[in-house]
Amino acid sequence: MDKQTGNPFQFSIEKLLEKAIESDNVPIGYTCNYVPSVLLSAGNLFPYRVNAKNIIGTEVADIYLSQVTCSYTRSILEYVLDDQLDFIQGWIFAAGCDHIRRLYDNLQYLVEPDFCHILDAPHKIGEDAIQWFEKELKILASSLSDHFQVDLSESALACAIKNHNLLMTSLKEISDYRKKEPPFSGAEFHRLLMAVWTLPLETVTTLIQSINHGLTNRTCPISYRARILLISSVIDQYEWIESIESVGGLVVADRFCTGAIPGINPYPEGDHPFYDIASHILQTNACPRMMDTFDYRVSLILQTIKDYNIDGVIVAPIKFCDIWGVETTQLMSILRENNVPALRLEREYKVSGEGQLHTRVQAFLEQMKC
Amino acid sequence: MNFFNKIQDQAIYYQSYLKNYYHILQLPVRQGPLRTIQHLKKYPWLWQLAKVNCLLDVVTHGRSGNYRKATASVVEMIVPNLMELLDNLDADPDRLILHEDMVPPEILSAMGLKTWMSELLGILLPIVDPHSVEKYIDVAENAGIPPDICSLPKSTMGIMLNKEVPPIKAIVSSNSPCDGGMASYQLIKRHLDVPMFQIDVPYNFYNERATEYFANELKKMIFWLETNTAGKMDWDRLRAICEERNKMAEYELELWETIRRRPAPLAAEAVFLSHLWCFNVRPGDPDGTLLFKKLVELARDNINKDIAAVPNEKYRAVLWNPPLLHFIDFFSFAEQHYGLTIINDSMSYNRQPFIDTTSEDSMLKSLAHIIMTGPMARHTRGPAENYFNDMFYMYSYFDLDMILIAGHIGCKNTAALNGILREKCRNKGIPLLIIEYDLSDPRVVTQDAIIQQLDRFMENIMKERRN
Repeated sequence: MDKQTGNPFQFSIEKLLEKAIESDNVPIGYTCNYVPSVLLSAGNLFPYRVNAKNIIGTEVADIYLSQVTCSYTRSILEYVLDDQLDFIQGWIFAAGCDHIRRLYDNLQYLVEPDFCHILDAPHKIGEDAIQWFEKELKILASSLSDHFQVDLSESALACAIKNHNLLMTSLKEISDYRKKEPPFSGAEFHRLLMAVWTLPLETVTTLIQSINHGLTNRTCPISYRARILLISSVIDQYEWIESIESVGGLVVADRFCTGAIPGINPYPEGDHPFYDIASHILQTNACPRMMDTFDYRVSLILQTIKDYNIDGVIVAPIKFCDIWGVETTQLMSILRENNVPALRLEREYKVSGEGQLHTRVQAFLEQMKC
Repeated sequence: MNFFNKIQDQAIYYQSYLKNYYHILQLPVRQGPLRTIQHLKKYPWLWQLAKVNCLLDVVTHGRSGNYRKATASVVEMIVPNLMELLDNLDADPDRLILHEDMVPPEILSAMGLKTWMSELLGILLPIVDPHSVEKYIDVAENAGIPPDICSLPKSTMGIMLNKEVPPIKAIVSSNSPCDGGMASYQLIKRHLDVPMFQIDVPYNFYNERATEYFANELKKMIFWLETNTAGKMDWDRLRAICEERNKMAEYELELWETIRRRPAPLAAEAVFLSHLWCFNVRPGDPDGTLLFKKLVELARDNINKDIAAVPNEKYRAVLWNPPLLHFIDFFSFAEQHYGLTIINDSMSYNRQPFIDTTSEDSMLKSLAHIIMTGPMARHTRGPAENYFNDMFYMYSYFDLDMILIAGHIGCKNTAALNGILREKCRNKGIPLLIIEYDLSDPRVVTQDAIIQQLDRFMENIMKERRN
């Protein structure tokens, strides 16, 4: 919490990260929700959701990845080539989409990280797929264990799941404020989430306690005209949400990779942790890369609209993402069929064109008569 | 070329021309005038397909002797086959299955089902008429599909959105070869409102575990089709199809052996169009085996007589990625103006095993391997080595002088490897041309602009002036 302003959301992720690394914690980078972060929390390891939030341009990455791949992957490669991610001690990828797979290939070719692993995540959720993925997780656990000398036995993993779930439960308490009148903005909540995805569990636990404490007697810091559900893939810069909120659209629900829906759902705590993680990851992630979860994805969105009392939906795919490109087309028509006001906003990973963003959102709000 | 040869070449052309028209005209005769008019109204792309014989002009242009005979034979195979496929417009809807090109039809045929390959029109129409899929691409984009998605799934989606597809019972598709292709099927399913089964190819498929997993996917697909359609698996029939496919593959291996020779006895469409059709659209068809047998005989005859397919063959190249659909004349253009023979391409060349027909399981495992290593899929899935290893192997195996990449703007997956490719080729001293273009939309990069790219490359890198 910032002592001068009393704002519980005023903290520096960079400083906390620096402190964590100085305390011998080892950040393991991952780029996709199909990498179970809980598996990267063994021993002194901690999962770091890779981002390139201060990226300016992707000139060098464009040479390798071309200008027609998604700007998230290009930004990450540029950041790596610019030595901005040197602190990451290992990289875990999931073969989630074509672009991430090619980021993995280019990273291997250009940098050859000491530890770099790619998980073969199936595109289906059935029993065979879960068993396949379970085996993949065991292979990853064994590699991590050998390389970093950490305990990733079933009992250690069960313990990690328990701790992770405790954190998610306390996070959910904060998240649930958004179903009514949240005492924070969408951008503020997103700052907290980014801390959760990039810092060690202990650091985040302390942070959440402090935020929980600071929420007493706090009201929503912005006056808003509409409650917005934001649907997208990777958004790790709260400034983008801040832009939407600056013209009166309060983002109360975040259905995107780095958001809370369904990202903060707890893992099952059964007797077979690898299996539990595999089934949880495959069945709850709502990524359009999956071939047989379209109905689940749609019902999750419609349920969220109901639960969070949503006035309008902004679907914001990153340009050049094929799976989100086709998904967005279908979502837009489904939302229209359900009489839900919806705005399609193609964007780049880097926050840019704020003026245009304001105009589009303002027009959308006016269309909704908010 | 003497007068007698010229007469012979003309005879080859007109013989094929008449044969093909005979088959084209059989279709309205079989369907009857009323049905034909209804079909032409419901499926406007039939007007374009009626021009399929112009493919003969493209593949015979500038070619003579056995090379001309070989390319004409390929078209002679395609035309009647295509007309038979069009009979499926009137097939029993309970038996008609829409399948993705990455799910080859062997199993479906063995189940007594009729097939309609979703991408077939998207592939064939621009070959016949370069501008023919533009309207379908526009339909997809107007429906909200981003313009940067590959134009093949875009044109396929456009055709489906226009409902210019016969009534089907079910859809089978996969997660290959790319995200765009995979994602398009959810939209197609929703739009056509029919059940769909999608098979899941693992990321890294060159191992036993992946084969087991994927063979199991095929088993589940068979069970699903038996439950949801009138199809019933006939393993003996599958065995017969697989054995015929093996024979065809054996001839194809022989053909590849012959084209290793410098100068090549056959090339271009004789090698790639034959594969594209016979292995992907009609595997297990005895006519396909006969075609490959004939191609081998023609190649051997050329070798015995010391005749080159391209008389002034100066350079040899592989074309990587799908061939330029709206500019199929590119092959003969390169031959005539630069003595550049395109020996083989990434879609045709493969290291697939013969299908082990000893048991049901062995057949499924072999087919699993073949599907996982299907055209494009074997290069676009898995680690980058899958893309590069085949390419550099072909470069030395076929004694090539350069690599041509058909750099389709919509193929982000392969575009993301261009940087590495450039460096690898530079290190190996391999001349590389990445042709920037769009697979099936000539409005993005025109044929002239493609020629200009080749001209510049040949002049600046190969120091060769255009004839």
